Amino acid sequence: MPFREINSKMIEATVMPGQRVFSQRGAMLAYKGEVSFTPNIQGGQGGIMSMIGRRVANEATPLMTVEGSGTVLFGHGGHHIQVISLAGDTLCVEADRLLAFDGTLQQGTMFMGSQGGVMGMVRGQVTGQGLFTTTLKGHGAVAVMAHGGVIEVPITPQRPVHVDPQAYVAHHGDVRNKLSTALGWRDMVGRGSGEAFQLELSGSGAVYVQASEEKL
Amino acid sequence: MDAQTSAHCDSQARASGTGVGKEGSAPRGRFRAISAFGICCRGCPAGYLRHVAMFRLQGSKVLAIDMTGDAVKAKNGSMVAYDGQMGFKKLSGGGEGIRGMVTRRITGEQMTLMEVKGHGTCWFADRASEINLVALQGDTLYVESSNLLATDGGLRTGTSFTGLRGASQGNGLFTTTVEGHGQAAIMSDGPAVVLRVSPQFPLTVDPGAYIAHQGNVRQSFQSGVSFRTFMGEGGGEAFQIRFEGDGLVYVQPSERNTIAGDV
Repeated sequence: MPFREINSKMIEATVMPGQRVFSQRGAMLAYKGEVSFTPNIQGGQGGIMSMIGRRVANEATPLMTVEGSGTVLFGHGGHHIQVISLAGDTLCVEADRLLAFDGTLQQGTMFMGSQGGVMGMVRGQVTGQGLFTTTLKGHGAVAVMAHGGVIEVPITPQRPVHVDPQAYVAHHGDVRNKLSTALGWRDMVGRGSGEAFQLELSGSGAVYVQASEEKL
Repeated sequence: MDAQTSAHCDSQARASGTGVGKEGSAPRGRFRAISAFGICCRGCPAGYLRHVAMFRLQGSKVLAIDMTGDAVKAKNGSMVAYDGQMGFKKLSGGGEGIRGMVTRRITGEQMTLMEVKGHGTCWFADRASEINLVALQGDTLYVESSNLLATDGGLRTGTSFTGLRGASQGNGLFTTTVEGHGQAAIMSDGPAVVLRVSPQFPLTVDPGAYIAHQGNVRQSFQSGVSFRTFMGEGGGEAFQIRFEGDGLVYVQPSERNTIAGDV
């Protein structure tokens, strides 16, 4: 695993020749060794078509490619960083939460409507994800930013997990999500408990939840 | 002086990896700082831990409550995730009935609480504030309503008058009380320290850093205003709250904006 947590807000990435790490542009804090940072116009992998896809989907965060040999420190905006290691499964995360990820991971964009049609799109709006979200697939590590600490809640087929859409950070594994509403007459008359919309995740995998309802 | 740090503490707090008060930590100054999560249930009834909802901290900013059909009260909208079956219902006026509601309206000490009831685990967090667990054994916790995150369903909440102190904290003249047997979770900006007050050792705190206190404590307001203050040469510590008696005071490492801080 190329990422090592220095403290809750900083990570150290080890770069070796022939390996690439993608990171958010400007997130480098310090480095040792011979490391080069090249802005990645395409915003990730996959050639021109993927780039256009990301632009259209508004999932194009400025990325840079980190190559060479040495160690690099990453951190951004004082946000807490969670390192998630993937073993062949897919991580769904908002592009602006991505701090750095392994170059070996396959990056893609997913249309929210592809999971649950119109309700999927509504869900994207409620969680602030928009209509598209970024997916990362393969073997490697991802560093994700969140406001406040992050907890990992496992999802098993018997126990679906409900998450406050504003506190949702990312999820991985074979997980279906749907927006469940607990709207009652109380919400209509302004007496709601503040928990009217919840994201219901079921299947098997894990969801990452931040200790805050604030966006990045 | 013998602060009750004997590390007989909720095994849950230990399990969740939070720093439990270290035994024999050197006294700082005249009082001993007890780690924020070190308040234990010594002397509580034997059946206490069997008691319904289990509060535990996951990290320092997320509170996990395991529920088996019982209810807890929590700040409106503070749920971040749950598994199992949960129901959320707003408690109008803090759940103290009509009289409590009217009192809260009048005193301005409004809080919007919800009742969470169900089976499973529910996680709570609010704007990345640090969370401290407080075990109550029949005593009263005085806390500002904005710093209260969750309480056991069985604890009673109410309002009490604070006088001049409240005004100096920038919180108004009234504060929220929580009493009964059970646990409560309070929030602080940065990890809170728990300072012990005993008859020999009264404690003075900055009104902006005070978050809560419990026990049999008298509080008085003291001011260090002198002619220097009026010359604009004040040290920024013109007002303090002095606690005397026997109890615990929770202090956060951050100061709210108060009138006192400006002079």
